[in-house]
Amino acid sequence: MSIFLKYILSIIIFFPLLSALMLVFINKKAEGLLRNLATILSLAEFVISIFLFIYFKSNTYQFQFVERFSWIREFGATYFLGIDGVSLFLILLTTLMTFIALLSSYKYIKEHVKEFVILMLVLETFMLGAFASLDILLFYLFWEFMLIPMYYIIGIWGTGRKVYSAVKFILYTLAGSLIMLFGLITIFILHYNQTGNFTFNLLKLYHTNIPLTLQIILFIAIFLGFAVKIPLFPFHTWLPDAHTEAPTAGSVILASVLLKFGIYGFFRFAIPLMPEASILLTPVILVLAVISIIYGALVSIVQKDLKRLVAFSSVSHMGFIVLGLFAMTAVSVDGSVLQMINHGISTGALFLFVGMLYERSHTRLIADFGGLAKKAPILAALFMIAVLSSVGLPGLNGFVGEFLILVGSFKQYTIFTIFATSGIIFTAVYLLWMFQRVMFQNITNKNNENFKDMTLREIMTVLPLILLMFFIGLYPDVLLSRINPTVVHFVNIIEHNKYAYNLIKAKMGLFNA
Amino acid sequence: MLDLSQMYSEYFLEKSLLSVMPEAVLIIFAFIILLLGLFKSIKNGENSYYIALIGIVFSFLYLFILSNHTIHGFYGSIIFDKFDVFFFTVILLSGFLTVLLSKNYFDTRNVLIPEYYSLVLFSISAMMLLVSSVNLIMIFLSIEFMSIAAYILTGYLKGESRSTEGAMKYFILGTFASAFFLFGSVFIYAATGHLNLYKIHNFIFRQSFKVHYVYNSHTFLAIGLVLLLVGLAFKMSLFPFHAWTPDSYDGAPTPVTNLMATGIKVAAFGIFIRVFTSIYSFNILNFYNILWILAVLTMTFGNFAALLQTDLKRLIAYSSIAQAGYILMGIIAGGYYGISGTLFYLLAYIFMTAGAFGIVIMFENLKLASVDIKSYYGFGFKYPLTAAAFSFFLLSLAGIPVTSGFMGKFFVFSAAIKSGYYWLVFIAILNSAFAAYYYIKIIVKMYMVDNQSNNNSIADVINNSNVTVNNGQMEIIKENHVTSALVIVIILCLIFTLLLGVFPQPFINFAAKSVTSLWNI
Repeated sequence: MSIFLKYILSIIIFFPLLSALMLVFINKKAEGLLRNLATILSLAEFVISIFLFIYFKSNTYQFQFVERFSWIREFGATYFLGIDGVSLFLILLTTLMTFIALLSSYKYIKEHVKEFVILMLVLETFMLGAFASLDILLFYLFWEFMLIPMYYIIGIWGTGRKVYSAVKFILYTLAGSLIMLFGLITIFILHYNQTGNFTFNLLKLYHTNIPLTLQIILFIAIFLGFAVKIPLFPFHTWLPDAHTEAPTAGSVILASVLLKFGIYGFFRFAIPLMPEASILLTPVILVLAVISIIYGALVSIVQKDLKRLVAFSSVSHMGFIVLGLFAMTAVSVDGSVLQMINHGISTGALFLFVGMLYERSHTRLIADFGGLAKKAPILAALFMIAVLSSVGLPGLNGFVGEFLILVGSFKQYTIFTIFATSGIIFTAVYLLWMFQRVMFQNITNKNNENFKDMTLREIMTVLPLILLMFFIGLYPDVLLSRINPTVVHFVNIIEHNKYAYNLIKAKMGLFNA
Repeated sequence: MLDLSQMYSEYFLEKSLLSVMPEAVLIIFAFIILLLGLFKSIKNGENSYYIALIGIVFSFLYLFILSNHTIHGFYGSIIFDKFDVFFFTVILLSGFLTVLLSKNYFDTRNVLIPEYYSLVLFSISAMMLLVSSVNLIMIFLSIEFMSIAAYILTGYLKGESRSTEGAMKYFILGTFASAFFLFGSVFIYAATGHLNLYKIHNFIFRQSFKVHYVYNSHTFLAIGLVLLLVGLAFKMSLFPFHAWTPDSYDGAPTPVTNLMATGIKVAAFGIFIRVFTSIYSFNILNFYNILWILAVLTMTFGNFAALLQTDLKRLIAYSSIAQAGYILMGIIAGGYYGISGTLFYLLAYIFMTAGAFGIVIMFENLKLASVDIKSYYGFGFKYPLTAAAFSFFLLSLAGIPVTSGFMGKFFVFSAAIKSGYYWLVFIAILNSAFAAYYYIKIIVKMYMVDNQSNNNSIADVINNSNVTVNNGQMEIIKENHVTSALVIVIILCLIFTLLLGVFPQPFINFAAKSVTSLWNI
């Protein structure tokens, strides 16, 4: 057991990859076997990851389950893994959502099943690796290769303009990542120039002393990489396409996990590495965040395509998370981290429901639905819960996160928060209006006369998410108590740097600037 | 036991011979192949192929035995040191892969087989001689030796106009480049009075301390260095001197293209590093800036031109021009770190390029190589393993992590930033993002385009060429367009591309160790 716990992160990261390698040797024709095996293996992976939760010590901000081995001595790169309160829940979310995505695609994925399940498992490995690595080079390896399986998933199993969407997705994110790489290498070299040691150890790089002007340039470079992923307002254009055309499982993983990498990147890399620059540029980013919130919501209102609507709602929700993170108070950052999990759960669930509607009627246009509640009461009820969770109804998870973000940011950035709050109203408008048009009124489309309710498998798919919505909504302390030490430590670093930053400003006579 | 590194060993012929042992072995084997060609019974069949492989293995063996020694030979015009060990390994690997790729390539073509293999061995030995020369005349001779073999090999497909055209262009432009090189050597000799790189280095080094140095020699030296650079840049196919590359890469038999794109390029970079670190590093003209511009132009041009290609072989030819731009960055960055980055990149480069050319040969066997890339759809699921391997090589060329291409790029980029070339790296990064598009375009065509839109699909082409398609798992090995030699090449390249991308430490050590023997970096 002790060895298991010592190497638990490596086991969790590479278990899906080994599973995928195992599946390579299974005959392509045995689709049922491939599906069941992949689902069971991903469930096993989730069960293993629960050990992380059980053995996680909630009273420290230090990294836990640390593993460290020499990797590339020449660059000072190490195989350095460790998690804190933030990455713990993102890892749990990843393993859970991969399981759910595999379970949800039994009916949706009809062709090339073998390739699909293998790519999903490979993708899981790389996502987990990126969340757990504390070495920048290792992180970058996981982070960039992640694009490739996702690109295949969108491009092969997608619908409509799938090739366009897949290529747009990969080129946008690749360009962002490469510019980020430029920033990361520069910090790496800067650290070398200051200390004479090559290292990619994140904890050591935190202490790199970067001059303010260079910090701003580097921050912008790294910001581009992460902002594309989030995606923040002017960099969001790949998202609606990718989300809309991806298969359900792809959309679920994209929304639940991949988008979180942007926020996680800011939290783990951009802000602590370049604290002064991030403090200086906070207003700019907050403006972008607020634009994202309102723009995403307004565009969602007018969408005719269900999936596009949910995709744009992601832009809006991610804006909230950025707002909370950059307000940089303990409460708002707590809220942001919690909201990352919440968004993964609620938006993932919404995509699952949209996928179910699409599987039944082969259309995603809102106008083609209507009156489904009578035909499919279970679907309607569970869909309603997911919608309300996304809207932020008290008692469900979305409320806790948004409330914490808004309360935390209000003191610091009142105006921004007021604008952001209006986003919540718009969220209610587009989601509830959509729900009404899809589920209530009379059946207008003849194809929906024989609309079937959810099968047991489908209920099993969404049930964990629905339960989590209630659980987090009613008792968020299980998460918050583990997140909080990490967040407090994070905010302390920023506060310390704010002090230093103000000193610099005073020295340079920038106070009036 | 002979002390091989004892002083003045270069004045004794028998000891000098030790310094060219790996090359000499290859030349002996090349002659054996030629002689055995006299016998009709041996001439036909695969004998010469196996002899060539054995020759390369023997050369490896001698390389391994000598690898811990530094040997000067032939009155100081040849040196065998750690630097050579690295480059010999890379060149021999490239030659080994080329020979493997050639195995069944000429089956359907009416050419002389034994002579082909002996020419390949000759050109490999010439590449190795080139890297180990330290005398301008010796460098010139080796370049000519290498080039003549390459000219013949390029035009080896008798009666095919593209092959002849490629050879002709290569020959005429190559002769010009050699003339430039020779002319440059003359100027340098006029300025310094030496042909040996060490002595030139020492001469300039001493000159640079003198208060009133001779202006004339300074100008001569600058002219000479520029002309020398032109001659070498031609072999490295850097931008303004690349004009021969696409045509001769396209026209040559694909295994030969592989040899030119990997072996010759590696050898040219090897000698360039030696010359550059010894006589260009003085600030006579600002060669770092000249190379900076060359690197930017090379990668930008290579990528733009590759983007416009619809033919797979030409696309990879242009992309190899772009790769030369990235490799050059390491040399510009300079220093221990930069040069080891270049060496590492070269090692990574030969595996991904050879792998890609292996796939091109497979496509040629399917009669698809000169087919528009647009009609590749359906390939991905019809040949899952081939397509997956091809995608992996393409991703490596694009520089996506987990592949050797990323590690190589990372190495040279960080070296360039370390030396303060921020803009160069920035442009290179924009280039990589841009280049990713055309690599991804091929993957798109293989996996993602539906069959309905176009009738001229790969499936039809396959049906027309009467290749049986099995639906089984390991179909690629059963089919006759895939020979076992091709499979070996592709698997080798896959393993090394992955290994260099994930556990690069031993290879970096190897590269770094060989750089330490360059005495002036």
